[in-house]
Amino acid sequence: MMNLLLGYQPLLDLFLLHLGLAYAQWLVLRAGVFSLGTVGLAAVGAYTGGILVVTYGLPAPLALIASALSGGLVALALSVPLARLRGIYQAIATVAFIQIVLSLNIYATNVTGGAQGITGIPKTVGTPLLLLAGAATIYLMYAITHSRLGRAFDAIRQNEAVAASLGVSIVRHQTLAFVLSGALAGVYGALEAFHSYALVPSQFGFPYLIAILSYVVFGGRTSLWGPIVGTAVLILLPEVVRPLADARMLVFGILLILTINFLPKGIADTLIERARGRRLGARRPAEADTAKGS
Amino acid sequence: MLLQQLLNGVVVGGVYALFAVGFNLVFGVQRLLNLAHGAVFMTGAFVAYYTVRAGGPLILGFVAAAIASGVLAMIIEIVCFRRLRKSGDAEFGAIISSMGAGMVIMTFWQWVSQTQVLRFPFDTVPVVIYRFWGLRVSLLQLMMAAAAIAIVLVMAWFIYRTAFGRQVRAVTDSERASMLVGINPNRIYNLTYFISGALAGAAGVLVGLAFNNINFTMGEPYLMFGFAIIILGGLGSIPGALMASLIFGMVQTLSIAYLPSGLTTAFIFSAMFLILLVRPNGLMGREEAGSLRGRR
Amino acid sequence: MALILDNLSKRFGGVVASENVNITVPKGKITGLIGPNGAGKTTIVNMITGMLAVSGGTIRVDDTDITRAPADQICRAGLARTFQNIRILPENSVLDNILIGFHRHERCSTLSALLGLPASRRETAAMRARAEALLERFGMRHLAEYPAGGLSYGHQRRVEMMRALASEPDYILLDEPIAGMNDVESDALAVLFRDLADSGIGILLIEHNLRFVTRLCEHIYVLDGGRLIAEGAPEAVLSDPAVLTAYVGGEHA
Repeated sequence: MMNLLLGYQPLLDLFLLHLGLAYAQWLVLRAGVFSLGTVGLAAVGAYTGGILVVTYGLPAPLALIASALSGGLVALALSVPLARLRGIYQAIATVAFIQIVLSLNIYATNVTGGAQGITGIPKTVGTPLLLLAGAATIYLMYAITHSRLGRAFDAIRQNEAVAASLGVSIVRHQTLAFVLSGALAGVYGALEAFHSYALVPSQFGFPYLIAILSYVVFGGRTSLWGPIVGTAVLILLPEVVRPLADARMLVFGILLILTINFLPKGIADTLIERARGRRLGARRPAEADTAKGS
Repeated sequence: MLLQQLLNGVVVGGVYALFAVGFNLVFGVQRLLNLAHGAVFMTGAFVAYYTVRAGGPLILGFVAAAIASGVLAMIIEIVCFRRLRKSGDAEFGAIISSMGAGMVIMTFWQWVSQTQVLRFPFDTVPVVIYRFWGLRVSLLQLMMAAAAIAIVLVMAWFIYRTAFGRQVRAVTDSERASMLVGINPNRIYNLTYFISGALAGAAGVLVGLAFNNINFTMGEPYLMFGFAIIILGGLGSIPGALMASLIFGMVQTLSIAYLPSGLTTAFIFSAMFLILLVRPNGLMGREEAGSLRGRR
Repeated sequence: MALILDNLSKRFGGVVASENVNITVPKGKITGLIGPNGAGKTTIVNMITGMLAVSGGTIRVDDTDITRAPADQICRAGLARTFQNIRILPENSVLDNILIGFHRHERCSTLSALLGLPASRRETAAMRARAEALLERFGMRHLAEYPAGGLSYGHQRRVEMMRALASEPDYILLDEPIAGMNDVESDALAVLFRDLADSGIGILLIEHNLRFVTRLCEHIYVLDGGRLIAEGAPEAVLSDPAVLTAYVGGEHA
């Protein structure tokens, strides 16, 4: 049994690492922020952590905190222009941000090792720590969404005018969501760096962006289960069906098209909604409210 | 020297114009970002390449590329967008859907080309240089400029002078209103996407000829540049896209010439960011980039 | 103490959308604002609720000047509103829709909300209790968990009302609240509005339905072409020839 589990350990690690970023992406989308820049913020955190540990010999825990801070601060800086934009414009701006980070990482060879990246990062992060991080992340997301913040996010996402009319400050809440997601992405970027010895700029480019988006779109953008289901299925699928591993991009592409057209809420969200519908429907006959003057 | 770079930039800008105008056509008509546009562009290059490789003349390659890309774009609209437009989440959905389409197309060409970089046979376009006023212009550059100008003029005539073009503009203004006067929006969308795709495909051929570096990832940077251009020109504005393309072409050529290499991309996108900050509507955009948003 | 629009005006470039609008909405009374289509009622509503910039004049809620206040501060000044086309949050349950109405009263720190600390959880529980009480009062307790998007029109209207009430406003702006309802339904709402006014809330009622407005309002303002053409008690206003002309083009209603 242990051997079976051990065999799957790298997969579990991958799942946990990607899950964190999936949640970071999920969080901003929940607040109605049309940001696709999560991997850019992860790159910021990853390089902050990597450089601090390799070049300055900082112990990993401190570097992790620094990564969270750097991700959050960059997100804060970005939120200023982003607050003035909506919808597609936000999306374009955040994609441009990814590109800028990518280019700067490749260019600043002295600091970041250029296109070759950073190597020799001591591997200080293993499965137990990742499991802990995963649990903490899920708890954090749960707490946020069940608090007044989560309620405000829901309102903003569905109708900004309504949210404003109820006294919700859209700018403050969206900035908060973005900064949180930046810090989260930063942490997980660093976790990834401390887990895999090396870092290259290209790993935080469009393929990763598409993967993260796929997890969230496929799994579900609203429910807490969404990222878990999406990440799990999309990471396991290429392992279970071997040929798919090579055609990963093709499969993701087709899945994206099919999901957004036919199951737009994502698998987890749709299933949860159906279950709720059935549960409520079972109650219905007992509460005939037709005569109540609709 | 500066003038030479500007000239080079204008030529490149002309090709960008084909790409950007196509992108903007779709956005203008449906308010959707087609992220598969880069893949359509790349398809043009590949189709032209394989046509020429099979022994056809370049002009045939050009036409084949335009048609193939146009048809591909139409298919993308039907598969990716048509269903989505009826839902309330079309903006986000379109980005995801077209991203997926782009990846599918990229994988296809990756497989066909076996991940090789393809180059047009050496004298597909004879290497001839003209000199005047101290500037050099190659035959290829002249071709690119001529093609870009011709295509844009034809399109402008089409959109502003023909009945069909009027219908496109009607549907752009209001789909429902145009249905009330008997226009079939779907036909218009098919046509619009075809034109948009054909433009992108033509641009792909020209870029393929100019840089002789046809590979399955060649569309990505252009998609990004396309973003920057249409932001500068204003989302939805075709004249804006034209102007912005020329400006962009010149800025890019100049920054490659005068800035340390590798910074060009960062510089361009930082500039785009600044524009988004200061004037999100760009040069001639008609959109409200920052209005309070609510579904329905 | 009242909601006062003082010499309010709005210009779009050279076009005058509103001019010299003076309206007083006292507490405890229902004040009506009527006018034919295109009269500029929506413009006034948008100016009051902070969605549209004001060109001239002021808007005050009691002592607070909200003329230039952004939309989210209007609620905190004590003015709630409903929307003409019902805007509930379709993805959330009925209870959640009302919960968000309590936002103005939620005080726990951001940190405790982030980490799910007891302070935040206690506050959420308290708000839930208040929301359930409201649901009880409106007779919709059994629908608490239903997705709001699947409710009937009448129910959605009531959810909107509850949400507006949740913020415990001093004034409520009702934007065509009975649009699309039959007489039975609108009579039920009329009773509700009367109760609200009697409890001390000042109501500004924007409506087309003249019968409804006559029944409920103590004072009516009539808007046409962006200007007030009449005001006063319902009977007086509705027999004013200028008003009749504006509404029905010169023929007796």
